[in-house]
Amino acid sequence: MGSMALELREVTKLYGDFRAVDGLSLQIPTGALYGFLGPNGAGKTTTIRMILDILRPTTGSITVLGADSALKVRTRLGYLPEEKGLYKKMRAWSVIAYFATLKGLSRADAKRRAFELLERYGLKDFAMARTEALSKGMGQKVQVLASIAHDPELVILDEPFSGLDPVNQNVMEEIVQDMRRRGRTVLFSTHVMQHAERLCDRLVVIAKGRALFDGTVGAARRLVPRRVQFETADDPAPLRGLSGVAGLNAQGEGRWEVELHDGADPQAILQACFEIPVRLRSFNAAEPTLHEVFVKLVGDQAREASFR
Amino acid sequence: MRYAWLVAWREFIENVKTKGFWLGLFLFPAIIVVSGTLPVLLATKGVPTRHFILADFSGDRAVVIRKELARIREVELAEALQVFARHAPYSEPFSYHVRPSVTNGAAWHGGELDLVAWRAAAGTNWLRVPGFTLPRPALAEVVLPKELPEARTPAQLEQLLRPWLRGERTLPAPDVGNPVRLFAALVIPADYGPGTTNALHYWCENQADSELRDLAQRLLNDDFRRAEYRRLGVDPTVIARVETLRAPITVLNPRKAEGTEKVGLSDTLRQWAPSFFVYLLWIAIFAVSQMLLNSVIEEKSNRIIEVLLSSVTPGELMMGKLAGVAGVGMVMMLAWVGSLVGMALFQAGHMAGNGAPGSTASTIPLELVGLLRDTWLLPAFAFYFVAGFLLYAGVFLTIGSVCNTLKEAQNFMAPLMLVMMVPLFLMPFIPRDPNGPVATVLSWVPPYTPFVMMNRITAHPPLRDLVGTTVMLVGFTALLLWGCGRIFRTAILRTGQPPRLLELLRWIRGD
Repeated sequence: MGSMALELREVTKLYGDFRAVDGLSLQIPTGALYGFLGPNGAGKTTTIRMILDILRPTTGSITVLGADSALKVRTRLGYLPEEKGLYKKMRAWSVIAYFATLKGLSRADAKRRAFELLERYGLKDFAMARTEALSKGMGQKVQVLASIAHDPELVILDEPFSGLDPVNQNVMEEIVQDMRRRGRTVLFSTHVMQHAERLCDRLVVIAKGRALFDGTVGAARRLVPRRVQFETADDPAPLRGLSGVAGLNAQGEGRWEVELHDGADPQAILQACFEIPVRLRSFNAAEPTLHEVFVKLVGDQAREASFR
Repeated sequence: MRYAWLVAWREFIENVKTKGFWLGLFLFPAIIVVSGTLPVLLATKGVPTRHFILADFSGDRAVVIRKELARIREVELAEALQVFARHAPYSEPFSYHVRPSVTNGAAWHGGELDLVAWRAAAGTNWLRVPGFTLPRPALAEVVLPKELPEARTPAQLEQLLRPWLRGERTLPAPDVGNPVRLFAALVIPADYGPGTTNALHYWCENQADSELRDLAQRLLNDDFRRAEYRRLGVDPTVIARVETLRAPITVLNPRKAEGTEKVGLSDTLRQWAPSFFVYLLWIAIFAVSQMLLNSVIEEKSNRIIEVLLSSVTPGELMMGKLAGVAGVGMVMMLAWVGSLVGMALFQAGHMAGNGAPGSTASTIPLELVGLLRDTWLLPAFAFYFVAGFLLYAGVFLTIGSVCNTLKEAQNFMAPLMLVMMVPLFLMPFIPRDPNGPVATVLSWVPPYTPFVMMNRITAHPPLRDLVGTTVMLVGFTALLLWGCGRIFRTAILRTGQPPRLLELLRWIRGD
């Protein structure tokens, strides 16, 4: 129990008749980097708000860093909301320092820490600038720094990569990796599967307020049947007879796709091609991407949500 | 509590750093100074001499007007000379310049120029004092333009005068070098006297400035009455004596200590000074609540609110914001009231140092200092500011929490502004009857209690009103803040359409 940074048990949130979150359970071990994925309107933000005790669950319970309310351990928590904003007239350093003091740092420590972070992440020259004068990306970086200035044990980042250019996305990844290295627990939601793929140890996918998947990235990949793609001028029909093959689909212009059963080895297909023979122009046995997993899990619901 | 304090401190510092705050801080005392000195300045320097034509077809009716104007001018000159003498560093020039033989000793009493003695000594030269410039007359008669053909009847004259009356042409005036615009023309018809149906024609574009018209009317009314008395055979000396009769009236206030019941300037001040504080209260509460509204809307529209709420509870946030902005308001109030008291003290000290008795107007600062010392004005002001601020701030905060933009908030503000305007409209009436039914009833309406009770505070309101309305105000404000807190908690994270009234009530109930 002590190794869990965050635990949700059968958490439900109702808005009138609408179930924003529906019996969600989740366990995030200390030191984990956890991805929180789901289409728009899946209930991610509501869940995060409940974790932070900004909203109360209708039923169910939440334990954050061993406490029954995030506010009791607020100084050990960091939070970056999905929609970002700053006090326009305040200077970059003082925004970071203000939020750090709200998280328990003394004024002097907060100020020192603000300058330190701004320098480390390339914003030293903008420390004294009013936030209204910063570019969107810079403003967002300032806000991220504000959420971690007090070196929290658990950080919740809601869409930390949205609105950042590729260079700043890398900086953001660096910030997340830094935290992981120091043994901090990070829960972040994102739409960009590459980030989740690169960063996460585990991930949870939710839709319509329910968890559809909770496990490692590898386990997530296994949800989608493995596919092998190849190009040939010959007829590959004999491959259908192999034990690991679930299906063979023509893609046109000599391109084919083989669907494999769970546990089937792509190498066996390659070997069969040599034996039959099917002369190959190309052969690709890549693992399914998280993108495919995501689309498979929530594709219909996401489409539904986007037309709602 | 630490978190509320941190929120309050940021709120205070960020508001104090704005240009608007400093502008407000200095603007108000500046307005007081300007409004104190400007009317006097305008009255002496700003209002131009109004030049008029007095055409008398009756032959002798204009005499009373001219005589009175000459008297008024004499008073103007005497007063100006007295003011000049009061500020003159020494009295020598008065005697030195006029005639070596004139000694001024008799003309000076306790630093004030005794005009009667001075005029007796100086004779026709009484105005020829170095450094003294004659003040401009308020009203000055000018003669008919030379180029005007002779008119036989008032109607003819009026027709001819039209270009001058409309300001299309100017005419020379003896008291100024440049040609002037004609302000008015008084045309007295031929058979103008008691019982006449012919009216005097007063031609003037400016209907707001009625000084000349009122003067002429008053003088001619008296003149007609005197003529009638004479026709009825009443002795002119009797008339003159009768006209000097005055019914003496002393105004007394039974509430004042025995022997000092006579009502004077301090009593008038006591009656009207609270109104000033009511204005101050209103401006302060409104300005400060507006700051709060802006600040909540900024946090809400920028979505800073979510980060804040992950660190502080909505209650702490609300309390911090209220305290921070109240602090801003208090600094502003201290500066405003402080500058007012400071100015009054300075003026009072200045006068006491001079030892000059001064005119009625100039004792106001002294009286004001006494009033502030002897009454509950300042403590009451402090209390009603805090209570009124919390009451209205609660409402403004709630409006801020349910709206996403200032534009949305303005829709809610319109009815609230109407409610807030009522005490301003009532301000002139309450001092007239501070313990009357209107004042009493309104005192018990909590949103108006701070303003109305502040206005009544020097008029000895009954203890029942004083205690009852205070309890009511505090209770109502506490209840309102509680309700506002419930709404604030729910509304602050919401986006989209502002809620309907029913929804607000549901939030208060906590559904």
